[in-house]
Amino acid sequence: MARILFENASKRYPNGFVALENLNLEIKDKEFVVLLGPSGCGKSTTLNMIAGLEEVSEGNLFFDDETVNFTPPHHRDVAMVFQSYALYPHKTVYENIAFGLMMRKHPKDDIDRRVRDAAQRLEITHLLDRRPSQLSGGQRQRVALGRAMVRKPAVFLMDEPLSNLDAALRISMRAEIKELHRSMQTTFVYVTHDQAEALTLADRIVVMRNGLVQQIGTPDEIYEHPANTFVASFLGSPPINYLDGELVVQGDKVTFVRGETRLDFAPERGKKLVGQSGRKVKLGIRAEDVDERAEPSSGEVIAGTVTSVLPVGSDQFLGLKVEGEELFFRINKDLRHNYGDKIKLSANTGRLHVFDADTEASLIG
Amino acid sequence: METVHQTPAGKSLAGKPVHTRGIDYKRRGEIFSWVHRGVILLGSLTILFIVLAPVAWLVSSSMQTEAEIVSVPPHWIPDQPTLKNFRAIFSAGDEDVTYETRSTQDPSSGNYIPSTARNLLPAMRNSFVVATLVVILNLLVGVPAAYAMAKIRFLGRTGSVYFILTTRVIPDIALVVPFFLVIKNLGLLDNIMSLVITYLAITVPFTVFILIQYFEGLPDELDKAARVDGCSRFQTLTKVYLPLALPSLVAVILFAFLTSWNEFLLALMFTQTAQSQTLPIVLASFTSDFTISFSFINAAGLLAIVPPVIVAIIFERYIVSGLTAGAVKG
Repeated sequence: MARILFENASKRYPNGFVALENLNLEIKDKEFVVLLGPSGCGKSTTLNMIAGLEEVSEGNLFFDDETVNFTPPHHRDVAMVFQSYALYPHKTVYENIAFGLMMRKHPKDDIDRRVRDAAQRLEITHLLDRRPSQLSGGQRQRVALGRAMVRKPAVFLMDEPLSNLDAALRISMRAEIKELHRSMQTTFVYVTHDQAEALTLADRIVVMRNGLVQQIGTPDEIYEHPANTFVASFLGSPPINYLDGELVVQGDKVTFVRGETRLDFAPERGKKLVGQSGRKVKLGIRAEDVDERAEPSSGEVIAGTVTSVLPVGSDQFLGLKVEGEELFFRINKDLRHNYGDKIKLSANTGRLHVFDADTEASLIG
Repeated sequence: METVHQTPAGKSLAGKPVHTRGIDYKRRGEIFSWVHRGVILLGSLTILFIVLAPVAWLVSSSMQTEAEIVSVPPHWIPDQPTLKNFRAIFSAGDEDVTYETRSTQDPSSGNYIPSTARNLLPAMRNSFVVATLVVILNLLVGVPAAYAMAKIRFLGRTGSVYFILTTRVIPDIALVVPFFLVIKNLGLLDNIMSLVITYLAITVPFTVFILIQYFEGLPDELDKAARVDGCSRFQTLTKVYLPLALPSLVAVILFAFLTSWNEFLLALMFTQTAQSQTLPIVLASFTSDFTISFSFINAAGLLAIVPPVIVAIIFERYIVSGLTAGAVKG
């Protein structure tokens, strides 16, 4: 059982650098929360604070109802998996996995049973006598997971655990981590800069930047309703496209205008923008929110010149020069276009995003 | 259909000699490799000779009589090997040698024994006690200091590392007088503790410096992993970092031991009697006696290098295992 609560928590280093500012976050018991952001955004600092490896400079950190600001790591019931695995090079795999239990003075037979259970689950039983230097990256990753698993901790922390694996292994390990969370029934906090990992694993995602939380929400909320352009840009591949322009409102109809390009918002999107005629905005169009029809209706046409065609197997990325800006779209791979073709795509106007041109905050939330 | 992997029958070039303009590159390569080996062998033998010749002469002459040592040309292998120089060391002290009685001794026979000969064995014990204490205290102080400076972020960390290094820039000779005053005021003159204290001042900075380098080379995440696994700071040090730092610990132990064992200047200043004199001081005193006995000095010299050699042999395998630890992969 562990609910984690940050209350106005900040992290300030002696040299004045602020790694984390005024964090308010509640991680519910048994929840899988992913901290997502670019390097230096404070996500690892947040994780280290939960582990007790970094002190909370200001504010409070609670486990359930207990303040743990000053509780040292070995008195918190947490386990952690590191990006570099951090296996003890001088110990065998068995000793590595058993170490945490030994330090907590578990009886020998209990340790042995737990280590062998974990090894069996992770399919590393045949490696128990080896040393970390004799293992492949994927095997080390499993040992690191095993070392955290056997402890049956109240909070399971992971700091970019899959970053050092190759692409194929990363995807299969994602599934295993998700299964681990399901079977362990414990709180998971997972740090990553990989948006795909965040979207697949999380119950809730916390997007961070420069020590500040940008948005907290389910993967769906974050993807469909980004709070600002930073969040919108961070999720999605290829990233979301932006066009600067202004709003024109006529009755219930809200239109985005940039030169020749006029896009009418679908009514449910548009109704929040009524009365904002003339406002300077940034339009966001996700790469996949277009398709190609014989006759696009006016109000959804994006016309431009093809500047690049990048097939990626399942579909293709198309670079399109629209109103002087290069936008990237993901389209059906059967469509044939050549460099320099003038084409028209139709935008899915129910999925357009609008951000304030200055504050970059979403206008439709 | 023909694929790129199929070579038309009879068209393979494999195994056919390549035209070489009449130069046998294989032969040339062999000659080069033999010359290469020859040069390396010759260089190694030269260095080996330069390093080992004095030691060989020490060993050889310690088993020669005084007459044989001074003979020209020198005998590398003694005509009549004898152990009486060593016997003289261990039986020294039965009889006082004075200016009046010195002539009853015959330098050329090898029976001559310096007046301070009886101090040799106590000096060896002093040297050993001092060196061992210095090693132990070095580890007790140096290991936690280096761990803290390498792994714990605190205000003034870089400053302290530089400060510790700076103390090594000052030559020992400049410190002799201040050291002497401190030791005198502590009332430790002619006490081996004076040597332990001053040798620590010399060796600890080096120990800390070496260990900081090594600890910094070990990943920070090991420290975090250990602490999350349930180790306190101290347990992290003893259970995770120390086993990994073994090679550098050995280097530190050897350095501290040898420095203390060989140190001369400070020992000369602070010690006056056999109660506290160390081996280098007593050995040096043999050369300023009524008459000089090379055979006796050489025998004593040989005894003096035995403990360091033993220490080196004990720790040699750790040094080698430390150097190769990273290279062994399954």
